[in-house]
Amino acid sequence: MATHKRILGTPRNGPARRSLFGPVDREQLQVEYQTALRKDLEEASRRWGFDFTSDKPLESGGFQWEGVPATEVPLLYRSCVFGLGQKRRRLMEATLTTKRGRMEPPQSEKENIPGTPERCELNLENLEKTPERRESSGAKRKQTNLTDFYQTKRRVVWMPRKSGE
Amino acid sequence: MELYCLESDKTVRAQPDPNILCDDRVLQSLLTIEERFLPQCSYFQRVQKDIQPYMRRMVAGWMHEVCEEEKSNEDVFPLAINYLDRFLAVMPTRKSYLQLLGAVCMFLASKLKDSRPLSAEKLCMYTDNSIAPRELLDWELVVLGKLKWNMASVIPNDFIEHIIRRLPLPKDKLAMVRKHTLTFIALCATDDRLAMNPPSMIATGSMGAAVCGLQLDHSDQRLSRDNLTDLLAKITNTEVDCLRACQEQIERVLATSLQRGQQYRQESGVRAGNKAREQQDQSSTPTDVRDVNL
Repeated sequence: MATHKRILGTPRNGPARRSLFGPVDREQLQVEYQTALRKDLEEASRRWGFDFTSDKPLESGGFQWEGVPATEVPLLYRSCVFGLGQKRRRLMEATLTTKRGRMEPPQSEKENIPGTPERCELNLENLEKTPERRESSGAKRKQTNLTDFYQTKRRVVWMPRKSGE
Repeated sequence: MELYCLESDKTVRAQPDPNILCDDRVLQSLLTIEERFLPQCSYFQRVQKDIQPYMRRMVAGWMHEVCEEEKSNEDVFPLAINYLDRFLAVMPTRKSYLQLLGAVCMFLASKLKDSRPLSAEKLCMYTDNSIAPRELLDWELVVLGKLKWNMASVIPNDFIEHIIRRLPLPKDKLAMVRKHTLTFIALCATDDRLAMNPPSMIATGSMGAAVCGLQLDHSDQRLSRDNLTDLLAKITNTEVDCLRACQEQIERVLATSLQRGQQYRQESGVRAGNKAREQQDQSSTPTDVRDVNL
């Protein structure tokens, strides 16, 4: 580690504790923070067709939204957040379903979601129950699939696939 | 009966996993995905109005000092710089927020790589409390959003073991080569001119510079400059010319850095004793890589 210090030039010109570019305008910083968050939220609204501020789906969106009471989602998705705005909380409480066959490619040019969700139903009441054997599928007894015991759902990963940004 | 706690304060780190490090597929995957984590553009001309290259050097130097002082995992610094560059490539930022941004990037990188992550309070202390923990946490969210929560970047360090085991290096020199390579990688991260190179290029260039600097070719002709470059280029499927240019650039940056260190030493020799901070060890800045003993 000592090498780092020597080769990396600065034979330490003082303690690492220092302010580099002078005082920060706190109010300005707060304003820009709010602006940045709002922009993020607007972008998310466009992308998901959901107004996260008023907690309502947008008319124009390609997704069909279905409300799920917070008490019914796994603990992980409930808000235990302090200090975070209501928006985030509500974000957690809504669940996404898509209109079948009506999927449009995502608007955002760079973001291709891995595996566009064709079906993404989240019927939480059934999650705990073992699904009934599907008798209608034919007389022959089918091999049991793992998916017989839980619902298949594809996760929508909010992450670009190709490019890092 | 008395109970003693014999647990030491030392962090326990995982052993290197040969299943990962000796598998060719892992290297190929790294090479395939590394481009995704590069900054989108050279941002000084295109995105930033307020921020100049020398400011990036300043903040990067400071970040490196903090990581050193906190004895962070050696991945933390290059990873934090990767976040910094990616953020600056998409978001125009004021100069006065640059240190805040640097702190946020270290905060995030440390969470990913350190077994004991840096705390927000500590990082704020290092900015001489020019920012508050609340602001750090606020901006953490902004940075995460801008980077699309895509935090597991490929960094040059990820390539070191994959490359080093494919070189005909004497066993007793491995630790030294590794250490020098890490140092050069950190040096590259502080230099904005190298920021757009893919991590594999930085890793191979740094290792090339390390091996050449240690003059290991005296005992093995396979490690001569040209042979080494060919070999390294083959390992990471790069163009020999690109790699050579990159290694030369790294060596230039190294030379400048050493020169600057020496200059500083002389200058501060004149003003000796004026300030307490100048009393630190200034006698040992090496002028040759081989003088660096660990």
